Amino acid sequence: MIRSSSTGQAPARRGGLSAILDRFYLVTAAWPALVVMVGVTAIPFIVTIGLAFTNYDLVRSAGWKFIGLENFADLLKDRATPQIVFNTAYLVIGTTTLETLLGLLLAVLMETGIRGIGLLRTAYLLPIMTAPIVVALTWRAMFNNDAGWINYFLGIVHLPQPTWLGNPSLAMPAVIIADMWTGVSFQAVLLLAGLLAVPRELKEAAESDGASPWQVFRNVTLPSLRPVLFIAIVLRFMDAFRKFEGIQVLTTGGPGNASTPLNLHIYNTGLFYHQVGYAAAYGVVMILLIGVSITAIYLAVGRSR
Amino acid sequence: MSRRRRRQTIVRVALLLGGLVIIAVPYLWIILTAFKRPVDAAAVPPMIFSPLTLKNFSALVEGPFAGSLWASLIITVLTTVFTLLLGVPAGYAFARGHFAGRRFFAGWLLFSRMVPPVIFIIPLFLFFHQLHLIDSYIGLTLAYLTGLLPFTVWMTASYFQEVPLELEEAARVDGASRLRTFRTIVLPLAAPGVITVGFLIAIAAWSEYFIPLILAGVNTTPATVGLVNFIGVDTINWGALAAGALALVIPTFIVTLLAQRGMLRGLTAGAVKG
Repeated sequence: MIRSSSTGQAPARRGGLSAILDRFYLVTAAWPALVVMVGVTAIPFIVTIGLAFTNYDLVRSAGWKFIGLENFADLLKDRATPQIVFNTAYLVIGTTTLETLLGLLLAVLMETGIRGIGLLRTAYLLPIMTAPIVVALTWRAMFNNDAGWINYFLGIVHLPQPTWLGNPSLAMPAVIIADMWTGVSFQAVLLLAGLLAVPRELKEAAESDGASPWQVFRNVTLPSLRPVLFIAIVLRFMDAFRKFEGIQVLTTGGPGNASTPLNLHIYNTGLFYHQVGYAAAYGVVMILLIGVSITAIYLAVGRSR
Repeated sequence: MSRRRRRQTIVRVALLLGGLVIIAVPYLWIILTAFKRPVDAAAVPPMIFSPLTLKNFSALVEGPFAGSLWASLIITVLTTVFTLLLGVPAGYAFARGHFAGRRFFAGWLLFSRMVPPVIFIIPLFLFFHQLHLIDSYIGLTLAYLTGLLPFTVWMTASYFQEVPLELEEAARVDGASRLRTFRTIVLPLAAPGVITVGFLIAIAAWSEYFIPLILAGVNTTPATVGLVNFIGVDTINWGALAAGALALVIPTFIVTLLAQRGMLRGLTAGAVKG
């Protein structure tokens, strides 16, 4: 049936371009993507690492030079650094922990055959697919002191109505609450897929041996869920590190630096204050932090026992 | 026993519906505010239900936001087409195994998904400045590839791996070229997966804010960045902002509902066998 014909498709062993394509088809198929990836990820990555050792400045870019480790020395002395690193840890650990725990609970709740559950599972997909900028702006409106819905409802039930975004100790909690709206759904959808993949026979065997629902969950479900749990935690972690709209637009990193993590600080330093070299040094710090934390998560959760 | 089970079901449904309310409230805010008059949108205390108006939408159409929606559409189409053109063949090569540099390629794919975009975008900003690619669709499309191309290669590879090798070999024995085998046998079988990946790329490109914030300009500002322009120095036009948000959200909702069955796998990028 499939024969070379007037369509110009040469069979396997014949000369010309087609034959070359045929022999090296895997490389041929891969190289355009490879070339683009080198251009848009590998080279920029190397350049960022290199920039960290320069005094490159967007406005005075002509006379830049290598300054060794000076940026890193400045960064250690910078009074903003401890706060920025603390905020990063607060954001990343706060969101990942809360979202994974509540997401697991939600996933367990959704692991049921009751009518309409399919529709409900779809509903929990929607926040994940909503543009982060829309989420950030909507929560900014809802956290508004006087006109916002959150304080309005808090007032109805006679709870205190704090100034969420203007208060240094509440700005980051507000960021985390807004993040949870997407993040809990995200973890739930992922972990539900993991739960549904746990072999039913395993659970039934434990049940017939007289294990309580909690024992089944603790000793059968959770161990089988471990690989999915690892992926879910790592993905959420990485999302928290790169979180941007939900901070830049919600709190603008403030008040002061109270809710500015590394990612926003790099953007501000490099593109707002033009200190590209210094920003790149913070970038190196961020990459190292991500590497260390993913290794830590792997050692804690990902390793198969 | 059955009474206990019934009570459990009631608690389960109550909690799930409670969660659903939390999911719904921000959408409710968007929908209601989009149809509010400016006075009502900024009322203190907030008016949850108020007289309806279509003014916000006519303001959108007359202002620069309509143009930014058009820019969003152009960027989304360009990004989706180029990412698939580059990523799908690479995904196939990746799935079928042995070529020089495959392991390094795999490692780099994962690594570039872990590194936050700011690391890539600052140098790209410097390059694009030299190459006059700031405020251009080509520049934006290239920048969007930083995250989406690795994702596409990774995802489509997982779909191609599921196409039985025997089918390909049978076609090859019949004398079909690799290209023809790919086009007539492999691609149709992997099509549902590839289409889902296409939808996910489109949603991601449509929703992107960080890259165009840095690399777009007056001619190419997409709707995500345009939305923030409703925040003035001392007043915020919440009504128009919500109407704009609605315009951004509705297309992604439609696509999500169309493609939801494959979405889960996209979220996990092949990590969970869904």
